[in-house]
Amino acid sequence: MHKAGCGVMRILTLVGLVCLAACHTGGGGAAGTNEPAKPPGKIRVVFKHQPMWGEPEPFRQLLAGFSQENPDIDLVTEVLPNASDAVHQYFLTSLEGRSRDYDVFIADVVWVPEFARAGWISDISDAFPPDGVKRDFLPGPAEAVTVEGKTYALPWYVDAGLLYYRTDLVPRAPKTFDELIQFAKDAKKKDPSLYGYVWQGRQYEGLVCDTYEAIWGFGGQTMNGNRVMVDTKESRGALTYLRSLFTEGISPPSVTSAGEEEARRTFQDGKAVFMRNWPYAWGEAQKPDSPIKGKVGITTLPTVTGEPGHGALGGWQLALNAYTPSWRREAAVKFMKYMTSKKAEVTLAVHYGRNPSRKDAYKDEGLRKEAPFIVDLLPVLENAKPRPVTPYYGMLSDVLQSEFSAVVSGIRPPEAALDRAQKFLDHVTQGGS
Amino acid sequence: MTAKHAENVDRGSLSPKLTPEHSGLRKSGDAPFDAAKKKHAGQSDRRQAQLMVLPAVVILVVVAFYPILATMWLSLHRMILVFHEETFVGLGNYGFLLSDPRFWSALSNTAYFAAVAVVIELILGLGFALILNAAFPGRSLLRAAILVPWAIPTVVSAKLWAWLFNPEYGLVTHLLPGHDVNWLGMPGYAMHAAILVDVWKTTPFVALLLLAGLQTIPQDIYKAASVDGAGTIRQFFSITLPLLRNTIVVTLIFRTLDASRVFDAVYVLTEGGPANTTETLSIYAYKTLMRVGDFGYGSTLSVVTFLCVMGISLVYLKVLGVERGKGA
Repeated sequence: MHKAGCGVMRILTLVGLVCLAACHTGGGGAAGTNEPAKPPGKIRVVFKHQPMWGEPEPFRQLLAGFSQENPDIDLVTEVLPNASDAVHQYFLTSLEGRSRDYDVFIADVVWVPEFARAGWISDISDAFPPDGVKRDFLPGPAEAVTVEGKTYALPWYVDAGLLYYRTDLVPRAPKTFDELIQFAKDAKKKDPSLYGYVWQGRQYEGLVCDTYEAIWGFGGQTMNGNRVMVDTKESRGALTYLRSLFTEGISPPSVTSAGEEEARRTFQDGKAVFMRNWPYAWGEAQKPDSPIKGKVGITTLPTVTGEPGHGALGGWQLALNAYTPSWRREAAVKFMKYMTSKKAEVTLAVHYGRNPSRKDAYKDEGLRKEAPFIVDLLPVLENAKPRPVTPYYGMLSDVLQSEFSAVVSGIRPPEAALDRAQKFLDHVTQGGS
Repeated sequence: MTAKHAENVDRGSLSPKLTPEHSGLRKSGDAPFDAAKKKHAGQSDRRQAQLMVLPAVVILVVVAFYPILATMWLSLHRMILVFHEETFVGLGNYGFLLSDPRFWSALSNTAYFAAVAVVIELILGLGFALILNAAFPGRSLLRAAILVPWAIPTVVSAKLWAWLFNPEYGLVTHLLPGHDVNWLGMPGYAMHAAILVDVWKTTPFVALLLLAGLQTIPQDIYKAASVDGAGTIRQFFSITLPLLRNTIVVTLIFRTLDASRVFDAVYVLTEGGPANTTETLSIYAYKTLMRVGDFGYGSTLSVVTFLCVMGISLVYLKVLGVERGKGA
């Protein structure tokens, strides 16, 4: 009886202490001193990732390979929903709640600065110094994972916006915006039922990507120091151009509600001359029953000057939970190293069509033989640019989505929309820290 | 525990019929004693009732009042998760809200959506209810069939309608003349597309509620009216509508509250686009909370949504409740 009472008291005291410690470290961000002690036995590392579509076996083998190399580590994988917004919400709430339930997790390219600023992901510069990351990985992703000179995540696989065109309808790939419009008009003259150019104009993240690509095509910059630049001459030019695609009949009205899949279906049915999309559309276009199989080319996005345009950088990174206890950290870093090794990235590329983030993977003989399209993508991926690297990205994107949508659907002229967006952003960022 | 207490508790647990007062076992003459006993019994009855209600109250406090109060408390702060910022700003967020054009547009979108959708649902639902109330072969089958849209999860039906509205392949686009209407991408159209989806989904629910009301009206009244020579239309306005009034009020409250909080259908269809022309209060609050991570202002928006919904239900109860009293 006495002993049991003692136990209860001890538990209560412990709970109280933990609460105190939790209150104490509140706001600091980094893991406090109240981390749980290491249990005996294998070190358990939990990896959270989105589903890998396709045959599950190669991915399982890849994970098994890590377990064989590291018999002292117990690797557990947990699958996240396949919707980026839902995953963001999950991490927002669980990391704010200092969850230690997982160690390594995937992060969208735009989340890295936000999570780093919040202290939710660990600075891993000691294991992966920024210089090394810059040397080993493609420039766009390397820039996206570096925040204030420190490495906060490792690029895992990359995506970039690119231009698809119909080789049977246009003489060659267009290099400038004017050429794209001209080629589309010429093709429409021969077949008036054709659409010129389909892209993503619905109010969502895809529209932000497409618009930034146009802004870069006009020579615009995204950041000036820490200030996000939205209301610039180049942005006005880019938005005027995007709106003119509708008024000149190059893009059908359906584009204002189109996401990636809507655009791809229209293009794949042979109804459009040009399409802006991510690399995944290539595999679909080349399927045996595709009406446009063998009639599709890819190229970098057009620009004003004709130089190869920058595609918006997409893709996923591996990040380390800041609340992971120190005794699990080494094992987690080992796992991140393994998953971003050349071997792992080639496996993901060959079996799941994920474009490697690592430069040397593109020289791999196996990849050249099994997935030549991915090797052909290298110029596009090397030229990819991250959307503004800022912890305010969620807010920025929310405002830009509605203002860009207002322009493409003809509700507001570009000048008014950009002015509204810039004022709001300045108000928010100046009110912040 | 004292003996007296024990007796009280014991008494309290007995059914009132068995107490001496009721069974007439006790002789009259010691009334003061009786009254005291009665008072004790009443107190312990009340205490027991309170004990029985306690779990429900605790659950309500934990799952309803605490979150609401916590949200109100948060709404008085500037709190952005990413910056670990939490400063008390009093009513600052509410001040900003008053001058936030996006809030006013979300509020008017919500009001428009709720008003138009609920009116159409009520009219259509009443029509369906009258048809289903008539006797005809296959009635029970039709009653079951009409519930199908209500049985489909909202996200699924919204996704389904998104394809029907697709400007390239959508059935809606092909059936209507003038093929270049892009329902979900054109300002003005998108909101009405969302209303159509809500009407399609919720009319069966309204019809079912009203049908239940119709079935409580005794047939004798109609027979008597026929004898007196009242036609069908006269019967509808003089008998059906007045007697259906209570059901209509309940249905209106249900539907208006639901429609004012609409999130899933619109979010799946348009995410609030184009240019936030279909953004409702709930969507604005969700985006501010979860996408932006601004828990202070997001909570303010949630509180205002809550207050609007509360206000609407109070108005309904007050206005319609009073008139009902007069009518009766």
